[in-house]
Amino acid sequence: MSSEIWVVADIKADGQIRKVTFEVLSEARRKLGGSVCAVLLGSGVSDRASELAGYGAEKIYVVDNPNLRDFNPDGYVKALCELIKKHSPAVVLSGNTAFAEDYIPRVASGVGSGLAMDCVDIGMTDDGRLRIKRYSHSSRAISTQEFNGDGSAMIATVRPNSFKEEGSAGAGQVVNEDAGITDADIRIKVLEMKTKESDRPELTEAERVVSGGRGLASEENFNHIYDLADLLGAAAGATRAAVDAGYCPYDMQVGQTGKAVSPVLYVAVAISGSVQHFSGMGSSKVIVSINKDPEAPIFAKSDYGICGDLFQVLPPLTEELKKALSE
Amino acid sequence: MKIVVFITQTQDTEARIKVGSSGDSIDAEGMKWIMNPYDEFAVEEAIRTKEAYGGEVVLITAGPQRASQALLQGLAMGADSAVHISDEALGETVDSLVISKLVASELGNVEGVDLIFTGMKIIDEESVQVGIQIAEELGIAHLALVSKVIDVKPDEKKLVCQKEIDGGSVSVEVSLPALITCPDAMNEPRYASVPNIMKAKRKPMKTVSLDDVDFGSLGISRDAVGKSGAKIKTVSLEVPEVQRKLRIIKGSDETTVKGDEIAESARELVKLLRDDAKVI
Repeated sequence: MSSEIWVVADIKADGQIRKVTFEVLSEARRKLGGSVCAVLLGSGVSDRASELAGYGAEKIYVVDNPNLRDFNPDGYVKALCELIKKHSPAVVLSGNTAFAEDYIPRVASGVGSGLAMDCVDIGMTDDGRLRIKRYSHSSRAISTQEFNGDGSAMIATVRPNSFKEEGSAGAGQVVNEDAGITDADIRIKVLEMKTKESDRPELTEAERVVSGGRGLASEENFNHIYDLADLLGAAAGATRAAVDAGYCPYDMQVGQTGKAVSPVLYVAVAISGSVQHFSGMGSSKVIVSINKDPEAPIFAKSDYGICGDLFQVLPPLTEELKKALSE
Repeated sequence: MKIVVFITQTQDTEARIKVGSSGDSIDAEGMKWIMNPYDEFAVEEAIRTKEAYGGEVVLITAGPQRASQALLQGLAMGADSAVHISDEALGETVDSLVISKLVASELGNVEGVDLIFTGMKIIDEESVQVGIQIAEELGIAHLALVSKVIDVKPDEKKLVCQKEIDGGSVSVEVSLPALITCPDAMNEPRYASVPNIMKAKRKPMKTVSLDDVDFGSLGISRDAVGKSGAKIKTVSLEVPEVQRKLRIIKGSDETTVKGDEIAESARELVKLLRDDAKVI
C-alpha cells in the first residue's frame, strides 16, 4: 500500500470539474496527510489536469478514453479498478454525486474494499485508518465509522458543500494511464441523453437553495420559486410531492430519494417538512420556511419563518430582498 | 422471465429513535421493522414485469430471523417464492461487500435469472451500494435510478429503460441479465390484501444457513459477517437534537399573517436574514 490519497474528479456534462472535487482535494490536504493526488477519468478531459494541480494535487492520474462518456458506469469501473490495483493508494475519495453513487460501489467490489458513502467529515486515526462521519436513519442519526486497516484501499464518497475549497499549488505531475478500456467493456448502450442547460447553480453545489412544495399548486406557480431562486442566486429544489404532482422535474427533488443538499441558506416555501424531505436538507446551515399552516412540522425545524400564504408573502418579501441585496 | 428482487428489512426511520446502550447503534428495543420502502417499488415493478411478460418472481434477503416478515410482505404482494439467507449476525451492521457476496452466491443457485430489481436506497443505513455490488459480484450490468422501464424484450434478452443522471436523464439499452435499482418515482406499490397475506404463508420460502455457505469460494471469512470482522466499523452514533432558532413570525392570532402584518413580516424576515443570520 502506498501512502497516496486519491481524489477522483467529478465531471459535469459540459466537461467542467465539479466544485466538490476541489472541496475534497482541499480537505484531504488539510486532514489526511500523505501525498494527495487526483484521478481524472473521462473523454477529452486531459487539459483539465492543471485545475486539479491548483488545489494541491501532487500527481494527476489521467485516463482519457472515448469510452468514458455519457455517465456510463462500465468504463469508469474498469479504469478506476485498474488504477487502484496498479498503484495501491491508501485512500480513494470522490464527491457523492449521482454518478459516483452509480459506479463507485462496483469499484469497491472490484478491488475488495470497504466503502463509506455520502460522508460529511473525513479524518485519519493515529495508525492511518480513515475515519468518517455520515448520516443514517433519514439523517436523524450521525455515526462515526473507522476502516479496519486491512490493507485494501479505503474508499469513501463525500457530500458536496461539506468542506471549504482552498487553492494551493501542487506539483501536478501528469501520469497518463491506459486502463485498456475497449468497446467490449461497455455493456450499457446509451440511446438518448437529455440534459438541461440551466443558468442556475446546481442543487448539490449551491450555497443557497429555494425549494417549493405541493402548496405551490401548479407548474406555473413554480415560477415563484424560480424567481426567488434567481434573485438570491440560488438553486431551485422541490419536495417529492411537488415532483409527483408534475409541477417540476425529478432532478429538482430534495430528500431521501432525491438529492442531499447542505447549503448555507435553505428557503422552504409551502413545504410541510416530512422526515423524508428533512433527510435531504436537514444539514443546511440556516433554514427559512414560509407556510400557511401554523402547525406545519417544518416550523419546529426552522431558524426563521413566516406563517403566511406564499402568494401573499412572496411579493413583499421579494421587494424587501431586492432592497437588501442592492444595499 | 425469471425475476429476482433483493429486499432488506429496515428500521422504520419515521419512528422515534434513540441511541442504544452500546453507543454505536440505534436502540432496537421496541423498534418497528419494515420492508425497506424502496424495495416495495422494486417488488411492484417485478410483479408488473411478470404480469406483462410471464415468468416468476423470487425474493431474496440476507438478515436475521425477523427479516422473514419482509419476505412474507413481498409474497403477499404477489411474489412466488422467497430465499432467506438467515443468521442473527446479519442483524448487525455488515459490510455491503459481504451482503452482496452472500446474495450473489445464492443467486448463482437460482437458474436462469433474467432481471434483478432492488430499491435505490436502504433507509436505515442510508446505503445505495449493496444492489449495485451484487451486480458486480455476478458480473452483470446494472442500471441505477431507473425511473421507467420502457421495454422488455425477453426473446432478444434486452431491456430499454430511462434512468436519472445528474442534470437530466438517459434512455439506455442493456442485455439481460441485468440489475435495476428503483426510486419511488417508478410506480405505486400495491397493498397486500388479507386473503393474499394468508396465501403468502403457504408460498415456498427457502432458508439458507451460513453453515451452508462456502466462504472460501467467496474470498471472505465467516468472521466477516457481523461487527467484529467488518471492514468499516461504527465507533459511535449520535441522534443530535436539532438546534434551530425557531423565530417564526406569526399573525396576531398566532396563525397566518394578514393585512398589514404581511408586509411587516417580510421586512422583519429580511432584517433577520441580514443582521441575525448574516446570510444575505
